Amino acid sequence: MTLNAHPDPDENKLVEALKRGEQAAFTEAVSTYSAGMLAVARYYVDPANAEEIVQDCWVTVIDAIRRFEGRSGLKTWLHRIVANRCKNQLRTSHREITTDFSERLEPELDSRFNASGRWATPPKLRFDESADALLENGALSDCLDKHLGHLPESQRSALILYEAHQHKSDDVCNILDVSASNLRVMLHRARQKIFLMVETFQETGEC
Amino acid sequence: MLMCRELAGIASDYIDGELNTGRRLSVQMHLMMCRHCRSFIGNLRASTELLRGHSSARVEQSVIDRINHHVTEALSHRTEDPDSDR
Repeated sequence: MTLNAHPDPDENKLVEALKRGEQAAFTEAVSTYSAGMLAVARYYVDPANAEEIVQDCWVTVIDAIRRFEGRSGLKTWLHRIVANRCKNQLRTSHREITTDFSERLEPELDSRFNASGRWATPPKLRFDESADALLENGALSDCLDKHLGHLPESQRSALILYEAHQHKSDDVCNILDVSASNLRVMLHRARQKIFLMVETFQETGEC
Repeated sequence: MLMCRELAGIASDYIDGELNTGRRLSVQMHLMMCRHCRSFIGNLRASTELLRGHSSARVEQSVIDRINHHVTEALSHRTEDPDSDR
C-alpha cells in the first residue's frame, strides 16, 4: 500500500529532486506553485507581506520537503504551509479576517429584479463564442485581469484556488479557514462580478 | 414556487452540482419556463469557463524572480553548511 494519493509521475520526480535539494527542481517548483501560494497568502495579509511569507515558506520547504509523504498533492501541501504561517502571524498581530457572507447577490444584480422577484432588467449577455475564442480578445482578457485585481482578496483567493487551481471545496475551506457555505457565497459573488463585467464589456466595448 | 431572484442567488450551487435533489428539480422546472434565467445560468456558466481558461493566477515574473533568488541563496547556505544533511 502506498501513502501517495496523487500518483502523478512528474510530481513524484519533482518531489524526489526537491528532497535531494536540487537547485533546478526548486526553480521549477517556485515558478509552478508560487502563484497559488501568493493567492493563499493574499487572502490573509496585504500583498507586500504575502510575498515575504511565500519566500519564507519556500525556505521552510527546503527542509520540510523531506517529511512530505504524499498524503495530499504537493500543491495542497504547499498551500497549507502558507495558510498555517499566515494564521500564526494573524494570531500574533490579533487581526481578524472580516467578510460579509450575508448576501448571496451582488447589489448591482439584485437591483435588476422587480418587487415580485422577477427579472426587470434581464441578462443582455450572449455567449456565442467559446471561452477560448473570447480569451483571444486581448482587450477582454486585460479587462478580466483588471476586474480580478479589484475583487476583494477573499473572493479573489477563493476563485483562484477553486477555478484556476481546481482545488476541491474541502481543501479550499481548509486552506482559507472558511465554512463550506461561506465559500459558496464567496465564489458566487465573485462569479456574478465577472458576469457583470463581461456583460458590460460586450455591450459597450468598455472595461 | 422559486422566483428568478431566488434562483439567481443559488445559481452557482446549481452549476457546481451542490444542490439537493428537491432544490435541483425546482431550479430545472423554473428553467423550463423562464428564458431569462436560462440565459443567466448559461452566462454565469460561460463566465466560470472564461475564468478557468484565463490565467487568473498569473503573477508578475519579477515576483517569481525575487522568490527564486531568495530560495537560491537559502539553498547555497545549506550546501555550505556541513550539518545540513543530518
